[in-house]
Amino acid sequence: MISKNTPSRDPLIQRTDKGLYCPQADVYIDPWRAVPRALITHAHADHARPGSSQYHCASESTGVIGSRLNTEHIVPHPYGESFQLNDIEVTFFPAGHILGSAQIRLHDGEQTWVITGDYKRTPDPSCKAFEPVECDVLITEATFALPIYRWPSMDEIMPRIFRWWDANIRAKRTPVLLCYSLGKAQRVMTEIAARSGRGVRVHGAVATLNTHYEAAGVPLCPWERAADAPKGVSQELVIAPPQVAGSAFLKRFGPTELAMASGWMQVRGVRRRAAINQGFVISDHADWNELLETIYQSNAHTVYATHGETRVLTRFLNETTAIKATRLETAFGINQELDQ
Amino acid sequence: MNFVGLFQSLDASQSTHAKRDALIAFLEQGDAVETALAVSLLTGRKQQRTLKPAQLKQVAGVLYQETPWLFDECYQAVGDLSETLAILCADGLQEANTQDPVLSAWSDLQQQLLQIHPDALPTALYTTLQQLSRDEAFLFLKTASGGFRVGVSRGLVHDALAKVTGMSRDVIDERLMDGLTVSQDWLSDLQRPLSDAEQHARPCPFLLAHPLPDNFESTLSPSDYVVEYKWDGIRAQLIKTDQIIRLWSRGDHDITTQFPEIIEAASSWPGQWTLDGEILIVRDEGLGSFHDLQTRLNRKRVTKPLLASHPARFRAYDLLKFNGVDLREQPLIKRKAHLDTLSVEQSPWHIHHSWLAISQMRAQSRSLGAEGLMLKAQDAAYQGGRKSGVWWKWKLDPMTADLVLIYAQAGHGRRASLHTDYTLAAWSENTLVPVAKAYSGLTDDELKTIDRWIKAHTTDKFGPVRQVEAELVFEIGFEGIARSSRHKSGIALRFPRILRWRTDLTPTDADSLSYFNELLEVAR
Repeated sequence: MISKNTPSRDPLIQRTDKGLYCPQADVYIDPWRAVPRALITHAHADHARPGSSQYHCASESTGVIGSRLNTEHIVPHPYGESFQLNDIEVTFFPAGHILGSAQIRLHDGEQTWVITGDYKRTPDPSCKAFEPVECDVLITEATFALPIYRWPSMDEIMPRIFRWWDANIRAKRTPVLLCYSLGKAQRVMTEIAARSGRGVRVHGAVATLNTHYEAAGVPLCPWERAADAPKGVSQELVIAPPQVAGSAFLKRFGPTELAMASGWMQVRGVRRRAAINQGFVISDHADWNELLETIYQSNAHTVYATHGETRVLTRFLNETTAIKATRLETAFGINQELDQ
Repeated sequence: MNFVGLFQSLDASQSTHAKRDALIAFLEQGDAVETALAVSLLTGRKQQRTLKPAQLKQVAGVLYQETPWLFDECYQAVGDLSETLAILCADGLQEANTQDPVLSAWSDLQQQLLQIHPDALPTALYTTLQQLSRDEAFLFLKTASGGFRVGVSRGLVHDALAKVTGMSRDVIDERLMDGLTVSQDWLSDLQRPLSDAEQHARPCPFLLAHPLPDNFESTLSPSDYVVEYKWDGIRAQLIKTDQIIRLWSRGDHDITTQFPEIIEAASSWPGQWTLDGEILIVRDEGLGSFHDLQTRLNRKRVTKPLLASHPARFRAYDLLKFNGVDLREQPLIKRKAHLDTLSVEQSPWHIHHSWLAISQMRAQSRSLGAEGLMLKAQDAAYQGGRKSGVWWKWKLDPMTADLVLIYAQAGHGRRASLHTDYTLAAWSENTLVPVAKAYSGLTDDELKTIDRWIKAHTTDKFGPVRQVEAELVFEIGFEGIARSSRHKSGIALRFPRILRWRTDLTPTDADSLSYFNELLEVAR
């Protein structure tokens, strides 16, 4: 199905029932079923799934992927260092999404394809910054491909978080910030460390991942496991995954006030449907402008959009540029209730 | 604090207590004109619409000249026009100033925008929005387009006002029934006693009923109550003084001009009074449906043919004031007796000594065109609000039908980007004909599950509307049925809502139009 867009050459990527596949290298990218050999863009559950025999990933991802997938069959690769799979040269480049996240470049000597995985362009002190990569064909995510998604800077958001945190201390409530436990939690913690000496309490799922981040040298703010801290109202911010809302985990903190850090918080109705009083717009995905900037910088003549607002992105590119843009159905982003 | 700050406090809380505290702080500290305008907005009174949605939408042309569809996509994802524009146009999240009043200045600005040539309006509006923060732009547009709503009830605002002024909540309710006059001194005006003439020209706060409790047979005594039919019309107060005759609906709207025949009839009824009653369409062959009544509402001009085809009458339930005397503290049975002596059209009432007799009366109510019974305590005074244990409503069980989901659309506000507005259809021969739109009655979990199903089973899209495979069956309840030439099915349902998702049924089990026609016959 992809071949009709690049009629003169064999495509480097096909879509199969197991995921995106490069026949020339005999390797799958972020497969959604067990395969002999996989390239992994990053460790989130919709991209890194268990059961495959061999996982290639960026070196910084090794710890998290190893523990999440419970596997030792990992082949780490430093960013920017190419390796061969059959006749295909494979290179990982930083994607700026979470620690160890990578874009994957495939090159057969003639054409270059890049699979972005999930990515963002806004600065994030908890992981390596996105590097633009030129290519002929770009397979990009499109989670937030609508102009309403424009991320405010962290310089605008972080003071709001501190203000909200302090207001809760005054009201004698425990402030609980809900965010995805891999990536978002650590990003917020490095931002706190960069702006204050304040500490946080974290849910067990966040704690496990914090140790991997610290092992990779990411400067998190001081933290302790909520389970190890005394019960009662906490003046320290509690960081926990969204699933804890309405669960027994919150009971130990006395009265709580919930906020959520997510790109979806950009829309008031989404926040209110989640019954969340306060939303902070912090996303680890590219916003509309970042998506377009990345696509234009890649110089790709063909773009495939994989998950999210693929219809909008492809229509916009086809109507306003010479790029040939097509939607590509994948299993990414499925079961993803909130922004990862 | 200005109105933007108040909105942010209200929007960031689900606790009634915290919202009330925010309102009190605002009323105490805010600029006088700002607080007056804010109270008008928050209580849903006098929402002037200076800009129409179509005018707001034209900003899309400024934003996306080449790809106007992009704006529609954004609008669909956000579910609110003002919010969409605020996100796309405003300058960041932070307000330049959170103290200075905004509402009066915005009102002026909105008037100025109206003076601009229509061709220049989109750009002018866009430039205006660019100078505001996100929340400011959102509220500017909401107040301009008359669609402002935030999760605060009128009662809560009145509670806060009572706290700030030291007045009782009942007095606040009554004084604000016909709105407030915006001025520097509005709060002291509110506290100034009214003259008798002013007092008698005003509607009284309506007394509202509770549903009859489940255990009524063991807890209530039937003969304590005056039993009346609950007519399916518009609850209203008809006021006559030596100077005026006014008709007020329960939503505090002055609807005097909509029903000239009622005003004319009232002018010949002797005395000066305030009557509580129901507006109904009454033809020679019987009562009209609520659908008939709706055709009389919100018209610029009430034409003679309309007056002839849809004649309205006022049926009185209660006498609240008579010749300058407030009767509301008297027991209902005394007011009823007094009402009986007046030559005004009344709703019949009875006192029964058994629940059996009352239930027999209830069983007749549908054939009379009523929607059930009202039980009003004989000894009760007429107090405004939904007072417990005074008035009970015993409605007929809703009529039900099993229908098939054929179209779905994303909701608005809290339900933005979730497909929650359903069009449901019944069989007519071998095709499915839409008969109802319904969106309430399902749990959040069911809504999410069905949303996923809808996305996976869409067969076609018409703008925001998705056509889906005919597979899901829902049981709906509704309060009434009428013939309608405006609907393809030929029928209009009153208050349709989803009772449950019938996962046990397949589309072939759903009802057909002939079933609705039978219901129509019964309703006749």
